[in-house]
This record gives sequence, structure tokens and C-alpha cells, in this order.
Amino acid sequence: MSKLERLLNLTAALLDTEMPLTAEKIWDRVGGYPDAKASFRRAFERDKDELRAMGIPIDVAAVPGTDPPIDGYVIDRADYAGEELRFEPDELAALHLATNLVRLDGNDTGLMKLVGAAQIDPDGINIADQVGRVPFDDALAALISAAADRKAVAFCYADTDRVVEPWRLSFSRGHWYLKGWDRVRGAERLYRFDRLQGPVQVAGAAEEAVGTVSDPLDLRGWELGDGEPTAARVFIDADQASWARHILGEVDDVDGGVVATLQVRNMEAFRSFVLSFLDHAEVLEPAEFRDDMVSWLGAMQ
Amino acid sequence: MSNRLTAPDRLARLLSVIPWVTRQDDGALIEDIVTRFDYPRAQLLHDLQDVVFFVGVHPFTPDSLIEVEIGDERVHIRYADWFSRPLRLTPAEGARLLTAGRSVLPLTESDDDNSAGPLLRALTKLGTALGESAADAVDVRLGHAPSDTLAILRDAVARQRQVDIEYYTYGRDELTERRVDSSRIFSDQGNWYLSGWCHRAGGERVFRVDRVRAVALTEEPNTDVGPTSASSFSLDGDYPRVVLRLAQSARWVVEQYPVEQVVENDDHIDVTMVVTAIPWLERLLLRLGPAAELLHRDPTLPEDLRSNAASRVSTRYQ
Repeated sequence: MSKLERLLNLTAALLDTEMPLTAEKIWDRVGGYPDAKASFRRAFERDKDELRAMGIPIDVAAVPGTDPPIDGYVIDRADYAGEELRFEPDELAALHLATNLVRLDGNDTGLMKLVGAAQIDPDGINIADQVGRVPFDDALAALISAAADRKAVAFCYADTDRVVEPWRLSFSRGHWYLKGWDRVRGAERLYRFDRLQGPVQVAGAAEEAVGTVSDPLDLRGWELGDGEPTAARVFIDADQASWARHILGEVDDVDGGVVATLQVRNMEAFRSFVLSFLDHAEVLEPAEFRDDMVSWLGAMQ
Repeated sequence: MSNRLTAPDRLARLLSVIPWVTRQDDGALIEDIVTRFDYPRAQLLHDLQDVVFFVGVHPFTPDSLIEVEIGDERVHIRYADWFSRPLRLTPAEGARLLTAGRSVLPLTESDDDNSAGPLLRALTKLGTALGESAADAVDVRLGHAPSDTLAILRDAVARQRQVDIEYYTYGRDELTERRVDSSRIFSDQGNWYLSGWCHRAGGERVFRVDRVRAVALTEEPNTDVGPTSASSFSLDGDYPRVVLRLAQSARWVVEQYPVEQVVENDDHIDVTMVVTAIPWLERLLLRLGPAAELLHRDPTLPEDLRSNAASRVSTRYQ
């Protein structure tokens, strides 16, 4: 018997049974396993791991009537299929198109489960080519599903262990950011996803209400960090105004240019941003930011 | 796609194929299964005839087996009650689909139609399966460009027409007007790019859409200069070089900019970089401050580049 056949039979047996099946019974009834008990155990453990990795919910429960209790295995049918998602053909086509237009790193197995992704009518695509690539991995998927399902997660960031209730994952300017509630600090925080250290682990249900989640256009380097932000005002010359308005969104028109107000937590990022305008921009206030810029530039002259 | 499928790959497909086929009124076309499920034909036929045909539960008598019938290019599957519904999406798979969908939502939904398009409807349904906050859980900006500019350029690419653009060259800090073929529009690392033949430069160029200040669609079709690629980022050899000595804290420079050579030392890194434009180098040096030292400068580059730039910016503060 091939391994594929054995995996299918095992899945069918665990879906078919009402009562948990002991390993012994599985050995006997599913077939395709080695005759030696130790080899069977190894093969069975591997099979279970593979099925679970695909998302098949194999439950372990004591077999009724056994004393001392013996573990048995079963798949709950309702749990196996989950809540049925009924998509219209045009909706499946749209999802299919989406996964073709943007390439996420890693493998896509989800669409196949939606009862066969509908084929798309080539005439219906008005964008000829794949338009973009977005980095993606399991840790990110875990954060997104935690945010969707209102779970808290634990991870390490800046060498500190944190418990965070994720609100939103935003991809902006080539990076993923996590915005959420930091339980240890008792405050809203923004994290660069690629700077998370170690694994992401689910840590129970979220408790804090979802706060205002800013638009990713607002995610900027100088806002990242701990502590209270300082409001800084920057004057930008008229010939750079449309560029500035585009990056910053809200700016005030003044004589000869625009004035932007930035909420600064990270001085280095702020300085870099202002210097990217070379002599087309000037820090107006606060005075200590102005002084910082003057001495920074002075050191290079 | 032509890679051999592993047993778990095939299992994952079959757990989707079986419920789908059983739900068709008159079986399914083999060809349909092949394309929908990305299942190589020979492998599919083998798996149906030599594997699924024998699948069932104890005691494996004919009435406890799945029935598979293949003929006339069609497959019928019956009595597969255990597999009557597809395996649910894992949260990770749901998160992926949601992310892909959210990424292209701004591109596929038309502005002139108020009703929710199919993608938005699909994502809403998907969201209900993922959790109460799914609608706000993920947001993707493929690029930051004014939507009207992007719309005109996408239209130009779809029609393969030339465009007139006013383009801000960040590196040289200058604004130019150009006639460009609109060959391709794509997103990379969070920015939208237009690639195509630049009639002003007489070569293939890549433009960042957020630096296009103005754009006008022309009636002229793109000139046929052969296939375009996004590889035009490569720099040719005529540009001057500098060698910078970077503190470890400035390591990000190596990751963010094209560098020709990197020499690692204990407490610093020496990098050779191509200078495509002087303002670009000025910005970099001003940002880095004490974290960078100009070790070697091509003689064609001005002397005292950094101090001159620093004093130029300083005059604003006097």
C-alpha cells in the first residue's frame, strides 16, 4: 500500500469513527503500516504530524470504558470542514486573480481548498503581468490571524520579551509593521516585523479594545520607538512641496513652501528624513531639534 | 509545477479534488481537474485509479470503499462521504489569501461603481471565517503613488501607449520632462515603478511612479524596442566610485544600496559604491555623519563634498 493510500485511509477512519480509535485499532484497521510495533509507532507518529501540518484537526481523547484510560484519536467532522465558505464563481475568480497578480513568498495551498479555484477568463484581466511581490512567512501569517481573531501573542523585540495584542499588520514602503497594544508597557506600539526576534506564540485572548489603527501611509520611521512623541515643525521649499505632501499627507501651505508637523520618537530617522531634502528643508521647532541639526551639520564642516 | 508532488502534496490536492468532483452533476472533466488543482494529468490518473479507488474504511468491502469511475475524459466519484466537504482553511492559509486580496484590492475595484466588487465580497466572506477583526487585520500598500497618476500609467500600459512625464530625479535633484514608452508597471519593495524606453535618454529606464510629477497619455503607440525587463536597475561602468569606511551602526547602507565591494573589519566596513549623482552621495554622507568616513574619492568628484553640502544646508539655519 502506498503512503498516500495509507494517509487517505487513516483520515477516512478517523472521520468515520464516533469514538476515539486507539493506536492499536488504527494499526489493525487502517492497514499499510509495518508489522513490527515500534516501526508502526514511528510511522503513525509521522503520519499524524503530516496530517496536522496540513491543518487536519486530529483530537486525542481517552477511549471511553478504558481503565486506566488509553488515548484514542478522532477527527471531528464539523471541525475538519469548518464553517463552510460559499463563494460565488466571480468571487473565486477574483481571489484567484489576486493571488496571480501579487506574489507572496512561500506556498499557496489555501485557494485549492475553496472547492477548486475557478478558472479566470483571460479577457477579464486588464493587468497583463504580475504586479508585485510581498514578503510573507508563517510568523506573519500567525500575527495576521491573531489580529483577525483577537488573540494576544508573545515575541521578543529589541531584546525584550513582549506580550502584544496585535491590531493590524501593514505593509508599507517595503516593510511589514505590526501595530498593537503592548501589555507590559500598557501602551499602543508599532513594531517593524522584520525586527521581531524568535518565534511568535499565541498567548490567550485579547482584552484591550482595538485602538485607532492609523493608515499605513502614516507609518514613518521617526514615529517608531518608545516614549511620548515630540511634535516637530519642518519647512519645505515650494519646489519640493508636492513630493513632501505626497509622503506626509497633511501639510500646511505657507509663503514659499509648506510646513509639515511630524510626531517624532526617533531622532535619527527624523534627521535623515529632513536631510533627504538637502537645502530644500529646515527644522523650525522645537529649538532643541533645530540645535541638534545645527550641531550635526557643524560637526561635518 | 513539473516538480514531483510529494505524498502530502497529493493528499492535499485529493482532499480538495474529491469533494469538488462529487458535487458536480455529471462528474468532472479530467482536464478541468488538472488546471483547477494544478495536478499533473498522469499523476492524477494514477492517484485516482490506483489509490483513491482502494480508499475506504474497515472492513474494506465494496460498500465501504470510495467509488471512482473514469471514462470519456470524465471522472465520477461516489460514496466518499468522509470527504464530502473540503478541509477547512488553516488560519495561515486564510491570512495569506486575505493578504493577497487586500494587496490588489485598490487595483481591481473600479472607482465608478459603488457596489462591492467580487474581490471585496470574497474578502468579506473570508474574513468571517478568520475572526471578528479580520477586516482591519491586514493592509498592504504595494506602493505610495498618487492614485490618479497610477491610474493613467496603468491605462497607458494596458494600451501600450507612450506617455509624457515630468519626472523628479531624486539622485540629481532635478526635474525633467520625458517621453517614455509605457511597457510595464510593477511594484517592488513598496514602490511602484514604470519601466519602458525613455526617448530622452535613448535607453530603457525604470521610473518610480511617486516621483512622476505630471503625466499625460499620448496617442502614440509604444515603439517596438523588444521585451523590457526590470533589470534596468543595473548601473553601467562610467560612473565614479567612492570608498566609504562605515561604522557597524551604518551596516544598513550595505543592505540598501548597490555596493561593488565590501571589506569587513572588526569595527568597521569598507564599501565601494557607484556614484550615479552627487546629491545622492551628499544625502548619504549627511545622514551618516560621524558613522562614515570618505576613504577614497574618484578625482572627478568635487573635493570637500560633505563639508560643502553641510555648510550649504547650514546656511538655512543662520
